[in-house]
Amino acid sequence: MKIFKYIGKRLLQTIPLLIIVSLISFFIIRLSPVDPLAELRLNPSISQETLDKEIKRLQLDKPIIVQYCYWAKSFVKGDLGYTSAGEKVSVKLKERIPNTLLLTLVVIFMTWSVGIPLGIAAAYKKESFFDRLLTIFASVGMAIPSFFFAILMLIFAVKTGFFPVGGLTSYNFNDMNFFHKVFDIAKHLALPSLVLFTISLSGLQRQMRANMLDVMDSEYIKFARAKGVSEWKIIFKHALRNAVNPMITLLGFEFAGLLSGAALTEYVFQYPGLGRLILEAVMKSDINLVMASLMIGTIMLIAGNLIADILLMITDPRIRR
Amino acid sequence: MKKIIFWIFILIIFILIFKGCVKKDIPENIPPNIPSSNIENIVYPQKNKNIEINGVEYLQSQASVGKFGGEVVISTIGEGPKTFNPCNTKDATSASMAGLMYDGLMSTDPITGEVIPLLAKSFEIKGNDYTVVLRKGIKWTDGKPITADDIIYTYKEIVFAGLGNTATKDAMTMHGKLPELVKIDDYTVKFTTPEPFAPFLRQLTYPIVPKHYFKPYSDKGDSVFNAFLNPDTSPDKIVSSGAFKLKEYVAAQRVVFERNPNYYKVNLNNKQLPYLNKLIYLIVGDSNNEILKFEAGEIDALGLRGSNVARYKIKEANSDYKIYNLGADNGTLFLVINLSNRKNKEGLWNVNPIKQNWFRNKDFRSAIDWAVDRKGMVQNIAQGVATPLYTAESPTSIYLNKNIKGHQKNIETSKELLKNAGFEYKNNILYDNKGNRVEFDLYTNAGSIDRESVGVMIKQDLEELGMKVNFKPIEFNSLVNKLSNTNDWDMAIMGLTGSPLEPHDGKNVWISNGQLHLFNQRPQNYKNDDRFGWEIELDKIFEEGALKLNFNERKPIYDRYQEIIYEENPIIYLYSPIRIHAIRKKIKNVFPSPLSGLLYNVDEIYIDGGNK
Repeated sequence: MKIFKYIGKRLLQTIPLLIIVSLISFFIIRLSPVDPLAELRLNPSISQETLDKEIKRLQLDKPIIVQYCYWAKSFVKGDLGYTSAGEKVSVKLKERIPNTLLLTLVVIFMTWSVGIPLGIAAAYKKESFFDRLLTIFASVGMAIPSFFFAILMLIFAVKTGFFPVGGLTSYNFNDMNFFHKVFDIAKHLALPSLVLFTISLSGLQRQMRANMLDVMDSEYIKFARAKGVSEWKIIFKHALRNAVNPMITLLGFEFAGLLSGAALTEYVFQYPGLGRLILEAVMKSDINLVMASLMIGTIMLIAGNLIADILLMITDPRIRR
Repeated sequence: MKKIIFWIFILIIFILIFKGCVKKDIPENIPPNIPSSNIENIVYPQKNKNIEINGVEYLQSQASVGKFGGEVVISTIGEGPKTFNPCNTKDATSASMAGLMYDGLMSTDPITGEVIPLLAKSFEIKGNDYTVVLRKGIKWTDGKPITADDIIYTYKEIVFAGLGNTATKDAMTMHGKLPELVKIDDYTVKFTTPEPFAPFLRQLTYPIVPKHYFKPYSDKGDSVFNAFLNPDTSPDKIVSSGAFKLKEYVAAQRVVFERNPNYYKVNLNNKQLPYLNKLIYLIVGDSNNEILKFEAGEIDALGLRGSNVARYKIKEANSDYKIYNLGADNGTLFLVINLSNRKNKEGLWNVNPIKQNWFRNKDFRSAIDWAVDRKGMVQNIAQGVATPLYTAESPTSIYLNKNIKGHQKNIETSKELLKNAGFEYKNNILYDNKGNRVEFDLYTNAGSIDRESVGVMIKQDLEELGMKVNFKPIEFNSLVNKLSNTNDWDMAIMGLTGSPLEPHDGKNVWISNGQLHLFNQRPQNYKNDDRFGWEIELDKIFEEGALKLNFNERKPIYDRYQEIIYEENPIIYLYSPIRIHAIRKKIKNVFPSPLSGLLYNVDEIYIDGGNK
């Protein structure tokens, strides 16, 4: 019961947060000297009449605060408005969100299912050859910029021809049978997810190792050892349960990054996800699209933190009080 | 011991990684000259003919007969089409894709640029009357016939009503009046212009749309019509007329077109075109990715830029592609000088009065023109893949004034001109006759490497003249805002795309109250009694040029306008990039032309051999 009250309180707290975030970002975008109609203005065959019509349609003739109110009103109603090219923002987002989710979920699944065991193993075999090797790979993974690594991978794909150069599906995707379709997507996903995997694996693995080492040093583990509890049981029953708390907070952030975390890699690989869409929108000052994505980002961050907190309450009895 | 082995192991890994990186694929010696134009040797097919088969008046392609089947994959840079509604396209990608699906009454001859019939079988011009006869028996993709009603509907209820993109309406309006349109019979319509108006005929290339499919949406007004045929419309519902119909749109990935079995064009054996089963556009975000896709064999054609040209030319000999040089493109890059002598709404000068004296001085502008090193820009910035530009019309334009030959950079001439204008040198620093140091700002849009480099070169060139140039690249949108709204700038490097077929399209730049009259932008509804003599002449030229119908009558008029710009230099033209394309050899019937580009005849191309 207490937990529901807590959730309700947290949800109420998000409302002013959302208002502040949206207000600030709306004003920053609108006050920047970016003119969404710049391209039209420079087209010699566009008449003043057409320009005026566009200005009216995009409500650029009204004060910013009025524009914001219009936007906020329709946002509350669940209407995200239209892009400056006249497409529905919700439709555009719907096209892209599943693609981005597919990529980030694959990556999160891979990193967590590999990173956690590796971190535990590295902590257990502290300072061994295996641990050192992992340290080196982790350093490389953390040091290499994602876009650079992505470009290297693209060149690899071009030179060898083993993998397609970006995208998500082949052009004849719709003529394939089910298994070919799965294989086709896997082939396209391989390189971008490898890049994201390498980069987030290092951090995760190091984090897990550090947490584990902390716990392994503590008195109660020494006590358990002295009592003659089997190593297996010490690690998985006693140490892991205590070491995993910071990881849950991290998982909350991973959730927040589900839709926005892969933007750079997406761009290099021409992956049809949200990242590419938003980048273009920002450059063109396509306000409705940018605002929608910012709102999604904010909501995801809040939701991620909330989920992490709830999970922590479940795993850690100390917080429940 | 263990440690040593460990470090050796690490070292080996790194050496292997670096080894992989150093392998070169660019030859040491890049030839300095670019491939010369090789499209002069192309033997173009005869002009299309009209042919009647079983009561249907087809258009017959005269290109050699090819094989049916296969698919061609090409690319489009950017975010893909925003709409498939041919009446509402506002960007090039949407326009070209909607153009594949919807044909107009007329089209443009790819070689001569004249207006030729397309959906129309023939047309006749008598005075201000344009009688257009439609092909009989041709059909939309859903099997319904294309008739005069569709034409009347398209023009009256979409174009003249101002739905969607109003560029055609604007271009057809003469002194606030639109042409009249009457239906004569089921296959004949007659347009009557209120006065002779040369650009009118070319406007008949506007796509004709099916009344039965469009009317329910156009009746609901602008906002419904603008959303109509957006990219996620179910493809099998779309009714179109062009060589290809939409099969599939996948956001940010591709657009797939398939052949239209009802297409009205046949080959020499009277078999219905097009040859290709599918035409696929991959949507790629930037040109680097496009190059990678071409190298990986995922796409069949590629536009080449700068240093890539030499590399591809070297590899061409033992490759599966051929390179075509299509000559200069329609884009122009120029330095524009602000001649404004007005104050803005707050009562502040757009341009400082001291600078106004310089900028409004013809000799000062000419001095800049003589000081600019166009050849150097072509060599150093465009890597030779460009041509110096001296005229307001692009080099491909059929109205290009060939008498303007241009000139090399000559600092001495510049200095002479400046002295005549009363400027003086003290220690190689330029002062005007009132003792003010010549110093001004030069803007361009940041992010465009070409323009930024051009800015740096111009700054150096002008510093040779003793001027002080503050070069300021700013964000594109802010620059446009300066140029078209606030007018508080001195000089700017900009580019515009012109029409190679119709100089009248540029009238918004040249007439004194046009909204793109960059070099002397007047506010809306401003009385233009402060025109320069040559601005008055330009106004007259653009008025007069539109009234003359005959090319030979119009040519001298537009020649004169280019002369004026060349002499007065309000805009100093710099260079035009050259278009170089690579296309796989397996694609046949490719007849690139400077006016229409590489793949304008997608209905005639076919694939033969070369399946790797």
